[in-house]
Amino acid sequence: MAFWFYRGLRRGIATTRYPKTVDPWARRLPSAPAFHSARLTAGLVDRLARECPTGAVHREDHDLVLDVGRCTGCGRCLELGHGAVRPSGEFLLAVTDRAALVKRIPIRGED
Amino acid sequence: MTDPGPPTTVNGEGVALLPGSDRIQTKRVETTRLAELSHELAVDHGARLADLFAEDGPDGEVTLRSVYALDGESRYLVLECPLDGDRFPPLSDLDPAAFVEECEIYEQYGARPENRKRLNRVLVPPHRSDRFPRLRRRDGRRLARDYEPHVVSGEAFEFPFGPVRAAGWESLYMGLVTTGEEVLDLYLFQWHKHRGIERRLRGLDPERATFFAERADGLSSVGDTLAFCRAVEMATGTEVPAPAGHTRAVALELERIYNHAAAVAAMCQTTGLSVGQARSEIVLEQLLRLNLAAFGHRYLFGVISPGGVRREPNVDEIQALLPAALDEFRYLVDALLVTNSHVDRLESTGVVTPENAHLLSLVGPVARASGQAIDARRDHPTGAGDEPAPLVRTQDGGDALARMRVMVDEVEDAERLISAHLGEAGAGAEPVPLAEGAGLGWAESPRGEALAWVSLDAGGCIDHARLRPASVRNWRAFDDAARAQNVFTDIPIIEASFWLTVAGFAR
Amino acid sequence: MPGDENGPAPELDELSAELRRRALRLFDRSLHIRTVDTGSCAVCESEIRLLAAPHYDLHRLGFFFTPAPRHADLLMVTGPAVRAADNLLLKAYHAMPGPKAVIAVGACALGGVYPEDELAHGAIDRVLPVDVFVPGCPPSPLALLQGLLVAVGRLEERVSALSLDLDPGSGR
Repeated sequence: MAFWFYRGLRRGIATTRYPKTVDPWARRLPSAPAFHSARLTAGLVDRLARECPTGAVHREDHDLVLDVGRCTGCGRCLELGHGAVRPSGEFLLAVTDRAALVKRIPIRGED
Repeated sequence: MTDPGPPTTVNGEGVALLPGSDRIQTKRVETTRLAELSHELAVDHGARLADLFAEDGPDGEVTLRSVYALDGESRYLVLECPLDGDRFPPLSDLDPAAFVEECEIYEQYGARPENRKRLNRVLVPPHRSDRFPRLRRRDGRRLARDYEPHVVSGEAFEFPFGPVRAAGWESLYMGLVTTGEEVLDLYLFQWHKHRGIERRLRGLDPERATFFAERADGLSSVGDTLAFCRAVEMATGTEVPAPAGHTRAVALELERIYNHAAAVAAMCQTTGLSVGQARSEIVLEQLLRLNLAAFGHRYLFGVISPGGVRREPNVDEIQALLPAALDEFRYLVDALLVTNSHVDRLESTGVVTPENAHLLSLVGPVARASGQAIDARRDHPTGAGDEPAPLVRTQDGGDALARMRVMVDEVEDAERLISAHLGEAGAGAEPVPLAEGAGLGWAESPRGEALAWVSLDAGGCIDHARLRPASVRNWRAFDDAARAQNVFTDIPIIEASFWLTVAGFAR
Repeated sequence: MPGDENGPAPELDELSAELRRRALRLFDRSLHIRTVDTGSCAVCESEIRLLAAPHYDLHRLGFFFTPAPRHADLLMVTGPAVRAADNLLLKAYHAMPGPKAVIAVGACALGGVYPEDELAHGAIDRVLPVDVFVPGCPPSPLALLQGLLVAVGRLEERVSALSLDLDPGSGR
């Protein structure tokens, strides 16, 4: 049974240093989308809202409303966004107030 | 579309081919002949019952579909039996593998075997029976109310365990019937997680439906989604480009590897070997990070889509990370197999006899550990993704140790298959036309053969979908495995060695 | 008192939520967690199990899993609260002595994947008062650790200050 101990010693420490630092590999995790508001148009936002499988994206007048809580990071809006949508890189998204997960992004582009 | 080959004959009668495939045959059967034909298929043709489900038409008429796998001939045979009223022949009397499905059909459609045999509750919770939504479309059908009563008597008592269990385990109720320590019988209630996914797929286009199909059984996401997308592709006559076929194979094998590593970790946890558990979890975490680097998601969601794939693998990352992770896995397994305290707990625990594995039509590592040499990749190849064929190794013991050995062998083979496919893997999908049709799809998920059936309406949206993850077939062997001279503390070990999911059953 | 006849006033709900949050800070170095699955796809469970694995080791932060509801301070819930799980969820919650809190984990639990219908509530906060929400599908163990640290007040949440507008101040 001693070999378990020696193998463990050889391998060293595997534990993350979080919350001190965020591991580099984690940068690749799926994240909430971020938007170039200057490139958003009402037509594009309506299309994104239609394709979002969880209804995380919808349009309210001149705003794109994103419910980060509903977002699964599936990436469909990234594919359809034609450069207007980028991954935000944010995946540490815990909140105490549910409403804080609902973000409004103004639609500044022209159709 | 390939040219259909010569149709097989069953009982001297010809069978039709499903349009779009020379591997699926359908046959319309009258209820009077269904039992006889099923029996003949099993006895004379060595057919394996892969699934049994129902569908109801717009006027409420119920059609039964049984899917038989003719593994030796690389074909599936779908028997289509329109029911006259609410009764069908008692298939499970001759074929025990059909019992759970009969219960499901009764619950969802109100149709039941002619002999009024009492059936078990499957997915409808007891406290919501009347208002609970079911797959049947027309109301006014007889509701499933006449369930087999759950009675424990004599000197035995039922020790209830769950549904809320220890940290991070799915909701599952286990009723352990015992007089003390030995398990006399075991009941499983799996309706706590029923999400009605098949019902939710109705009316969705295939692309949207894939999002939900992925999340029916997340740990078999690639296998189940592959089966679903193949069903759609068959229904619409869509041919998947070869590079996408190779990508699909890579993703499927990566899923197999991480699941088997997770099963080894769970087995260590349940045998009480904490060091083994910790080392296995290290390997598992490495593999999940590999999945992230390769395909952008730790559990490989979002890779498979109807017609092809949405992403291609990051070849450099896989070549950089996979060998190290597998070396650690091998090191770990070698250590585990010489740790007597661990091996002793696995040996003779949870034995599934070869007879049972055959009678209950089990699939996957559970079946292979009990001598059944079946594997959907080898037995039912579909194209670019299925060459080279996997090495199908079986064990005879049928115990937890045998299942572990099968999984370890499969991990080795998965590495070989990934290497074979990686060079030609690419992105892309053939656009799926919105067209009417029906199709059967399958894949060898980590837990075994996953099946799916879709029928699409004229607008190309789903009229009826059947998802059959491997867990649907294999949970029924759990109570037999638990009963074979096991004690309480063996149950978690058996559960870990089966490595099924409740989500896959209660989709 | 305001709100007597029509139920507790909204300010009292706010107050009790604030009290729960403050109470949880008392557990910041020793928090016991019980997990409940209300219909997940099993992947959130896999990430939760990895919290005790060597790469994440929640024990070093003073968090522990417990199978006993009487011992638990925090209920970690996955899944869209399918109605078939009503009993098990409410029993698990009420079996915990106060002060206690609830953390809802994953897009299903936050109302993303399943709608509210006859089969499911669709989100945990339609059934229980939820104190911390952790988005993701699944949330990685790092996101889960952040959620736990936010729950006990050792980390500030980041989302409120987060702007997802890449062109701020460019007109309007």
